Amino acid sequence: MLVIPGHRGTTCDGPTRRELIRVGSLGLFGISLSHLLQWRDVQAATLPGADHLAGMTGFGNAKSVILLFLQGGPSHIDIWDPKPDAPSNVRGEFSAIPTNVDGIRLSETMPLLADQVDKCTLIRAMSYTPKGLFNHTAAIYQMLTGYPPDRVAPSGQLEPPSPIDFPTAGSHVSKYIPPDDAVLPFVELPRPLQESNVIGKGGAAGFLGKAYDPYRLYQDPNAAIELSDLELRGEVSPERLRDRFSLLKGINDSMPELEKAVESSALNEYYEKAYDLVLSGKARAAFDLEEEPEATRERYGRHTFGQSVLMARRLIEAGTRFVQVNWPAVANGNPEVDAWDTHAANFGPLRNLHCPKLDQALSALLDDMGQRGMLDETLVVAVGEFGRSPRLGVSTSGNANSPDGRDHWPYCYTSMVAGAGIPGGVLYGESDETGSSPREKPVHPNDLLATVYFALGINPEMEVLNHLDQPRELVKGKIVHDLWG
Amino acid sequence: MTRVRNVLALSVAAALIAGNVGAGWLDTEPLELKVEPETLRFGSIYETRRVIVTAIGANNRSTDLTGEAKFESELLEGSEQGFVTPTRTGQGRLRISVEGQSIEVPVTVADDSVATVSFVRDVVPVMNKVGCGNGTCHGAQKGKNGFRLSLRGYDPQFDYQALLYDMSGRRFNRAAPAQSLMLTKPTMQTPHVGGLTIERDTRYYNTILDWISQGVPFGNLDADRVQSLEVYPKEIFMAAPHKAQHLAVVAHYRDGRTRDVTREAHFESSNTESFLVEDPAIAHSIRRGEGAVLVRYEGQYATVPVTVLSGSGGFRWSRVAQHSYIDELIDEKLQRVEVQPSEIASDSEFLRRVTLDLTGRIPDAETVLAFLDDPARPRQKRAQAINKLIGNDAFVDHWTLKWGDLLRSNRKYMSYKGMWTFREWLHDSVAANMPFDDFARKLLTSRGSTFESPATGYYRAARGAKEAMETTTQLFMGVRMVCAQCHDHPFEKWTQEQYYQMTAFFSTIGIRPGFETGEEIVYDKRVDRDVLHPKYDHVVDPEFLVPIEGAAAPSDTARSEALTDWLVSPENPFFARAITNRVWSYFMGRGIIEPVDDVRDSNPAVNEPLLAALTADLVANDFDLRHLMRRIVSSRAYQSSFRPTESNADDDLNFSHHHPRRLTAEQLADAVAKATGSRFEIPSLPEDFQAAQLPDPHVDLDGFLDLFGRPDRESACECERKSEMSLPQAMNLLNGPIVAEAIADPDGRVAQLILSGASQDEIVDELYLATFSRLPTAEERSASGRHFESHDSRATAAQDLLWALMNSNAFLFNV
Repeated sequence: MLVIPGHRGTTCDGPTRRELIRVGSLGLFGISLSHLLQWRDVQAATLPGADHLAGMTGFGNAKSVILLFLQGGPSHIDIWDPKPDAPSNVRGEFSAIPTNVDGIRLSETMPLLADQVDKCTLIRAMSYTPKGLFNHTAAIYQMLTGYPPDRVAPSGQLEPPSPIDFPTAGSHVSKYIPPDDAVLPFVELPRPLQESNVIGKGGAAGFLGKAYDPYRLYQDPNAAIELSDLELRGEVSPERLRDRFSLLKGINDSMPELEKAVESSALNEYYEKAYDLVLSGKARAAFDLEEEPEATRERYGRHTFGQSVLMARRLIEAGTRFVQVNWPAVANGNPEVDAWDTHAANFGPLRNLHCPKLDQALSALLDDMGQRGMLDETLVVAVGEFGRSPRLGVSTSGNANSPDGRDHWPYCYTSMVAGAGIPGGVLYGESDETGSSPREKPVHPNDLLATVYFALGINPEMEVLNHLDQPRELVKGKIVHDLWG
Repeated sequence: MTRVRNVLALSVAAALIAGNVGAGWLDTEPLELKVEPETLRFGSIYETRRVIVTAIGANNRSTDLTGEAKFESELLEGSEQGFVTPTRTGQGRLRISVEGQSIEVPVTVADDSVATVSFVRDVVPVMNKVGCGNGTCHGAQKGKNGFRLSLRGYDPQFDYQALLYDMSGRRFNRAAPAQSLMLTKPTMQTPHVGGLTIERDTRYYNTILDWISQGVPFGNLDADRVQSLEVYPKEIFMAAPHKAQHLAVVAHYRDGRTRDVTREAHFESSNTESFLVEDPAIAHSIRRGEGAVLVRYEGQYATVPVTVLSGSGGFRWSRVAQHSYIDELIDEKLQRVEVQPSEIASDSEFLRRVTLDLTGRIPDAETVLAFLDDPARPRQKRAQAINKLIGNDAFVDHWTLKWGDLLRSNRKYMSYKGMWTFREWLHDSVAANMPFDDFARKLLTSRGSTFESPATGYYRAARGAKEAMETTTQLFMGVRMVCAQCHDHPFEKWTQEQYYQMTAFFSTIGIRPGFETGEEIVYDKRVDRDVLHPKYDHVVDPEFLVPIEGAAAPSDTARSEALTDWLVSPENPFFARAITNRVWSYFMGRGIIEPVDDVRDSNPAVNEPLLAALTADLVANDFDLRHLMRRIVSSRAYQSSFRPTESNADDDLNFSHHHPRRLTAEQLADAVAKATGSRFEIPSLPEDFQAAQLPDPHVDLDGFLDLFGRPDRESACECERKSEMSLPQAMNLLNGPIVAEAIADPDGRVAQLILSGASQDEIVDELYLATFSRLPTAEERSASGRHFESHDSRATAAQDLLWALMNSNAFLFNV
């Protein structure tokens, strides 16, 4: 295989993924694909260029990630970072309540989470200043890919997802550390990323190719879900599939030269995995909430978000690397809908619609995972694409806001992280007296993303080649080492 | 991952030591010693130059003896590895002896040295060598930690300003030069995120120290810039793994001076499995292969082709059929690299392959049988088969699809009606076999309503002057200009100025809404059509990327016409060559230059004579692409088996055997339909539409085509089509609706066979014919027989066999 001079080949970070694949295709020289696959397993511990990170506290602690992506932009002041001493046009209608950790207060909207704060760290000075387009889609793209969107349609909206997009975090993760078992690597539920009319931007594998897209379960886990592609088709019993598979193996085996010639496609390995996925039922079982005790289901909340979060836990238990639960409502101007984009009405909906669901599901998740010992090797992150304006009834994004509405606010907001050895009951960073800007230790969304990769044992500065084969960093962000104390 | 590299390097080093200790390190008795450069001239006693010593053996093969040679001269002292340094000025000779032979070269040591250290000539190369301006370091778009340099030092003025004036000039301490940040940072005396890049008291360190001590002179941008590079040897040939080849690089400056820059130049192996280049500029062979060493120094490039043989010895060429000049030229190369091509493929393999490649479909069972039964000589009946396929309906669909991909026929860009209009125009052009130069001309120069003059759709997809320019150069010349938009191309000679000169050809094109919904008018603007240089803000006039003798000067009134005349001229060094290479790649799995749309000096053809001959053939035949296709598929190289010979299994470059390719998304869908005798139903399209006929990516079959890598038609890059396998693909084939429903189709092949009362053998034969395009072997028949016997239901057994056949390698791949 001719490699092109000028393309970044070997760098100080070692061979690129492409070279790995190339090496794997050279069966004749004794480096067979199985070697490559073994090698990849070894790599999981120290991915390219991660040598200097190995041994650092927190590096590679996590085997998997649950990302609760609160799309729409939840109001940090009314949830995570109450400001009881601020003027009423900032403070809003909610008071602050104590938690099970001295000195940490939450908004009264989060009574259940208040009993789980000892398990999580609140990053209270998430902050960035958008460049160019300032709307949800742009912010979501920035948040989940680590790159600002560069293509804006004439309508002023972002272009729809495109094959030249920067890949979403879960796609990178499922590429660099594929799961060990026959399970789905990356699952996104229960509905796509969406604001306005652009659907799924920032939630796809982009230039990595669709093979690394998430498995998209856009269904309501609070109702019966359908998994036709993971379920054997009606006319094919397990015995029949076994029979077919052995027939297939016989046919392939009878043409060994061809088998060898196509070895580099890893077709056999994929078929084995696909066969296991369909037949073992492990992946399918992970989606089966009927196997959970009724009390657990109630504990997470019998609503779309609660059951999605429970499903996320089950998927992680089964071996999935990355589960992304998108907040299941999108703003449409109707204050009866539990979307976080509360321009029109903030307090009533938050009190009655949104927060009870978030509070219930998130507290249940921390409690449940803590009891199961799952937090040790799982990183849980809850964050939106931005927070909301501390001042009520002002416009920061050009949108109209009702007197009790809050507008977009990326300059300071809160995210929650738990697990992967990050100590609980801690505040990281601080916002100012009105929650408007960071007082100390600001964390850029890219820093958070870099920290997620770091926790998974992936060097955030690893070089990736985009659709034009230009080298790019996985994410340009600073790892927040201090989260680990 | 550095680990791997080190292992390789270590094994090379070990082998070198082992090899050189024994007496057998020389491949052949040296008949002749060759020394490069042939004369040595030093501009001052401070220069060092490398001398390359080569033995030319009996079979005209060369062996590098630089490392072993002894250097004697009254004027020079020889250091290690071929580097020599003057001890005084004067004239004399250098005597080189090795292996009992010796040779002399004349030496001059002059004293015309420049007194001052120049930023341009001396400091920038050091910064580039240690990587200050790399894209991931200070050359990043926003720099790094507040310090920004131009990418890989392409803009010395910018870098000079950045060093001198950013941070209020804190980077220099003129009172104590060694205390300058510019020295304390890279030496890590001050913390530096980029790590230790320059050791103290080394040559590089001293260069910068001297430069600061002398008051940081900029130098002369004209005289101090490198004009060209000369690399010795001109070609590298290593007869076996674990050999070494020293390299020397001489920079020629604009003022006529030269300098040996071997230690400052960048070397990159294009094929790191086969050879690496390590400091100080020594290529090491690892295993058989080919490629080039790309040498880079101060914006100039040179490539040195490399061939590494297996060294196993005992290679004997046995002649295989040659159908045309294609095979002759391929064989010439294969003999040189000691690779024996594979035998010719069987008739059934050939027919399936050529039908897929020409028409995107697998052949009908009946066609296969008729072909296999035809008693004519293989070459004759294959030629007949080719003639039947070229130009048939499926052929037209297939190439319409291909051009639709590259030209982005997509409702998103062209509107629904515009997309259909454009597709129909493509279809008609392919059906009429429009010569490729006319095709390009129509796309580039058509004007008017996108509904009435469909070829104008080109500019709807490639919208805006820059996009149109980038698309046109990539599509029709195979040249990627996009990097040069923001900076001089990092791996090619194209400059930012040239980017805008070429863009100026397209800046006159205007698009405005038409009269109907979705209609637009493409026209030539008379005002507001200037292109401004983004940095210097001057109006950039159109200028051809390379001059062609006798070509009309770029006209101001009809820029597209001028550009097209230049583009499609037989003298244009890119146009015919790019399409020839592209078409070749569609049949052979890879271009003679690969990627096909990344043609540049640093990406040489693997077989230049072959590409030149094919290109000349196309031009001589008036850009008739069908002629070119016929030529290619008639060659032995195309028709060769995928089964390797002893020496060619690892040859991916030289077309010594066929490489099975996974069927493309559309091919696979249509093959499933054909094999099962089923039909897809796509609500928005006529009921007999096949995947190859779908108008654009907004129509799919349950996501099947996207999953298998059908391009989104968002760019003109061939890379949009993905051909790798993945887990979701395997899941879909194994358990998804497309295959399952087609097999179970009540009007499908299995149902028909059962209803017709076909015998078990008849069923098995037909299923093999329908999937593998061949009859089953005796063993396959008996294995299938056992399968049928274990089932009560023949329908079930037949369905299972068909399922297994369609999930097997022989079906999923174009074998």
